[in-house]
Amino acid sequence: MIVTEASRQLLEDCGVDSDRLALEWASAAEAPRFVELITGYVSKIKEKGPIGSGKGEVPLEVIERRLAAAVKAAGARKPRTRLGNLAKKLAKDGDYSKEAISQGVREKILPAMRSERIGLEARMILQEEPKDLDTLCKETGASAEELEKIMAPMVKKGTVSRENDTFSLVSGK
Amino acid sequence: MAKENAVAKENEMAQEGFDPKILGFFCHWCCYAAADSAGVSRYQYPPNVRVIRVMCTGRIDARFVIEAFRCGADGVFTGG
Repeated sequence: MIVTEASRQLLEDCGVDSDRLALEWASAAEAPRFVELITGYVSKIKEKGPIGSGKGEVPLEVIERRLAAAVKAAGARKPRTRLGNLAKKLAKDGDYSKEAISQGVREKILPAMRSERIGLEARMILQEEPKDLDTLCKETGASAEELEKIMAPMVKKGTVSRENDTFSLVSGK
Repeated sequence: MAKENAVAKENEMAQEGFDPKILGFFCHWCCYAAADSAGVSRYQYPPNVRVIRVMCTGRIDARFVIEAFRCGADGVFTGG
């Protein structure tokens, strides 16, 4: 449930309707219930239409790039450690209510995944050509302040160079 | 004009006949068995779900879900 909640919030962060991801329970003996769940879910998705066409969703090309970054972000060390820590904390408190999980994920895991995702995505965009801060903000959906903070270590490390407001990838690194 | 109409009609048809691609992660012991028994008892349900069997729902990772969407799935159904 923690993983699903994390995926849900990460999807929402990438501009995908999080209702597209469902988690349901049906035991082996509950075939009729299973049929009901599947039928309901499929008709719900049919109403929403193809991915990228729903309300508040970003276009397909953007989704693809964002999710490609998000896959890597979800596997990065920091968000994973936080996921483990949150699971431990919930077990200690004995509170597995939806609110507790959702709040924990929003406070602890989402920020880590988001900054990881934006950093990776920015690099993907820069791979094509140098871009200025505003364009990067628009493409990744991050605020200027956030992006400055994420790009600073990369500039310091020398993997990304910065001239005024234009960022470019340093080749060979 | 005729071409435009044809395109509009095609779009309309595509909308109507939209076949969502849904990926299902089913637990071997629960939902997968339920799906199996639904099939055996000949219940009708939509054929849009492509199933991946996992040994436990706990095996599912955020990466699997995101990757599914990245590959063009319109929905992911996790069944425990």
